[in-house]
Amino acid sequence: MTMNDQRLDALFAQYRDACPEVEGSPEFMPVLWRRIEKRGSVAYLLPRLARLACAASAVICLVLAALVSLPGLAAPRPAASAATYADALSADHSAEKTYYTESIRATDNLVPADYSR
Amino acid sequence: MLVEPDLIERARQGDAGAFNQVVAAYRKRILGTISRLIGRPEDVEDVAQEVFVRLYYSLDQLRTPEVFEPWLYRLSVNACYDYLRRLRRRGEYRMADLSEQQVLMADSSASGKRSDEDAEKVRLREFVDALFRHVSEEDRLLLTLKEVEGLSLKELEKVYRVNENALKVRLFRARQRVLKAFQAAREDGKL
Repeated sequence: MTMNDQRLDALFAQYRDACPEVEGSPEFMPVLWRRIEKRGSVAYLLPRLARLACAASAVICLVLAALVSLPGLAAPRPAASAATYADALSADHSAEKTYYTESIRATDNLVPADYSR
Repeated sequence: MLVEPDLIERARQGDAGAFNQVVAAYRKRILGTISRLIGRPEDVEDVAQEVFVRLYYSLDQLRTPEVFEPWLYRLSVNACYDYLRRLRRRGEYRMADLSEQQVLMADSSASGKRSDEDAEKVRLREFVDALFRHVSEEDRLLLTLKEVEGLSLKELEKVYRVNENALKVRLFRARQRVLKAFQAAREDGKL
């Protein structure tokens, strides 16, 4: 330890002694208990919870906005969605197949005997 | 420890009388520490009360009464950080706008009662405060806890929950900066 180090240590010790003693006012304890009670009250907690909820909503919004706007993070768009509504309708025959074929099958057995000849 | 572990345990279980006794035992020490950490005598009591309010609501998280003191120091350091952050946000400087010497001179001329000894103490405080301005706010708090409050590295490790070696490095660098400023001040004949 150098001489200057020792001097600095002595200076810190003098500084500690030179700092004034703080006793606190006689009202210290009553004020402290008032603050404790206030901190535990609903009136104090509600605004804090509201602020917390606002902050959480803002964070969620930012995260969702980032997910939507960043191309790498966004979910891949299906190819069909790029087509027009008419294209999609004309391309999709599943409904026709299902309803018509099913109804034809269902009515096959109901054809009157005279007609089947 | 200034109080028996049993008293802390009772305070932890919600005994208001025990909590009062704990506050009474530590009040002076915490006021002194905060006074040296924030450097604004008018706000010391307010910050100390905030520390004890936080203590009241976090006592149930205390694992064992043996770690109570580092826990209390940790709450104090955090409350001081919050206070200094609020001060910065409001655009106020840590120290008063007028230097203590200026305040002292104003007081002296007003009352003529201030002694030379007081003036010397004020000058010393101003000098050390000026040295501390060569390090960051965080390092100033750490250095004050170590060099002025006399906390050991083991205690600081518990307060900051940081590895002892990391603390040593931070303290060494901060102290070197202060030492350099101290040497420069000595060479300039300021001390």
